[in-house]
Amino acid sequence: MKARKAGRQQERAAPEDQGAAPVPAEKETWAQHAEEAADMVAWDNVSFAYDGQHADIDGVSLTIRKGEWVTLAGANGCGKSTLSRLMNGLLRASSGCISIGGIRLEAGTLGAIRQKIGMVFQNPDNQFIGATVEEDMAFGLEGLCLDTEEIRERITRYAGRLGIGQLLRRHPQELSGGQKQRAALAAILAMEPELIILDEASSMLDEKARSEMLELLREMHGETRYTLLSITHDAEEIFASQRVLVMDRGRVVADVAPDMLFRNGELLRLCRMEPPFRLQLARELEQRGVMTADGVTGAMLNPVVEEMRKWAFGSSM
Amino acid sequence: MREKLLIGRLIDTGSPVHALDPRAKLTAMLLYAAMVVGARSWPALVVLTAFSFIVMASTRIPLRTYLKAAKPLRVLMLFILIVQCLAVKGGRVLVAAGSWHVDSAGLEAGAYAVARMVLLVSFTALLTFTTSPGQLNQGVEGMLRPFTRIGISPERLALMTGIALRFIPAILDEAQTIMKAQASRGADLKELPWKEKARMLTALLVPVTVGAFRRAEDLTASMESRGYRLGAPRTQYRPLIWSYRDTGFVAVFVLICLIVVWIGWI
Repeated sequence: MKARKAGRQQERAAPEDQGAAPVPAEKETWAQHAEEAADMVAWDNVSFAYDGQHADIDGVSLTIRKGEWVTLAGANGCGKSTLSRLMNGLLRASSGCISIGGIRLEAGTLGAIRQKIGMVFQNPDNQFIGATVEEDMAFGLEGLCLDTEEIRERITRYAGRLGIGQLLRRHPQELSGGQKQRAALAAILAMEPELIILDEASSMLDEKARSEMLELLREMHGETRYTLLSITHDAEEIFASQRVLVMDRGRVVADVAPDMLFRNGELLRLCRMEPPFRLQLARELEQRGVMTADGVTGAMLNPVVEEMRKWAFGSSM
Repeated sequence: MREKLLIGRLIDTGSPVHALDPRAKLTAMLLYAAMVVGARSWPALVVLTAFSFIVMASTRIPLRTYLKAAKPLRVLMLFILIVQCLAVKGGRVLVAAGSWHVDSAGLEAGAYAVARMVLLVSFTALLTFTTSPGQLNQGVEGMLRPFTRIGISPERLALMTGIALRFIPAILDEAQTIMKAQASRGADLKELPWKEKARMLTALLVPVTVGAFRRAEDLTASMESRGYRLGAPRTQYRPLIWSYRDTGFVAVFVLICLIVVWIGWI
């Protein structure tokens, strides 16, 4: 409860910290505001309940600016995937307003909204529609009513970019986990969306494939044309992003910078996460007085090494 | 398990049959199926078999690959053979055990039914061996287009076919994983007696079915998030183009069909 309260305080404080303007109460003004303020995503008091009674998303308001990389963190079942599915109308909000790239999400604007959003899901096996990588990439592009030449050009360009050019004729089942997720991402990128949602897209990958995926995301973010929203438990991916929205029981309870998340024990407990090793090490060294946030001086180097040795092997050695 | 299943797999040899329009291949397969089903005598089957071998050879795919395609149906074929042997009476009595006896007419009818089935399954595998699932989808959609007037949605049917072909290997893989998990807990399906196998099959079917529903849900989300709407306008990456070769291919089948009917073998 205390954590939740603390989180809410941070949530309220966050917009000013992040430089985002507050959301006006009046809806029409709010939609105009979303467009003018270059917000890629703007939610105003959105709620949703699977059973129509118990809120799974409870009055969430948030903004994500164009080109930003935001992580959605939280324990399993807290509503992260539900929130991402509300974003492109896979689920319909029971109340509140959602705006994507200045377009308000309604039945009439669903097609336009979905052109702006690309979603990469957790299990790559279940998101392939085509029987080959090439057919799968073409699927979304055919829906955009592009001509054959344009489809071929985009497939070649994005498959080359993601290093899967030689896999285009392969059946998805014949690919490794990392290749599958690259192919899924290539199919999304070929549609040239503005916002890419990664719903635990790296959770089923091995270490190597995961770091390759992370590198790709860094590259994409560097281009500034994509807004990224990644749902993840991976500490490195969280660190690579700019903001972390922490969710608990259907509410966004904190909006913090990644390093702040790992320094806040309450938030970490809420997300059921452990700080990454390098942070744990830094904390231990800090507690032993051999390292400060400013760094390690030459004079402190020997004690640092000695302390690390003791920490790693115990004092008996 | 997936490696053993050949139906639904494209074997790209770059033959002239591979380059044909899927609608031509579908039409030819329908004609062929009608001929095999309608064949009422051994000479008819011999003519059709010889014709099949010529067409199969032109695909540059080994003949044994076609025969392997019929292998998963061997239990069904055995069942049909037994039923025919026991049900059809006439001719010489070959085997007798009490009131049960197998006659030569029964054996002939059983062998004939099995031969037709082998021919039908092996030859129709040509369609999937030489056509990618995407093209097959387009072909089905194109063939069913005239039925739109009577309320049939070609797009829906083509999508169903495509997804089924796409997910057969994935679901088989999942079934194999569950079977391995069961075997690791001491319930190896291969070593169990038939009665136990049948019981264990339920334990296999439930998780596979649940998994299939989960896949379907994820796939729907993936399709919708890529802007798919049934009936919405779409372009085709590789539009189908009917050429004189396609007309020629269908014409050969029509000719064989006419010859067989004219001779009176159907």
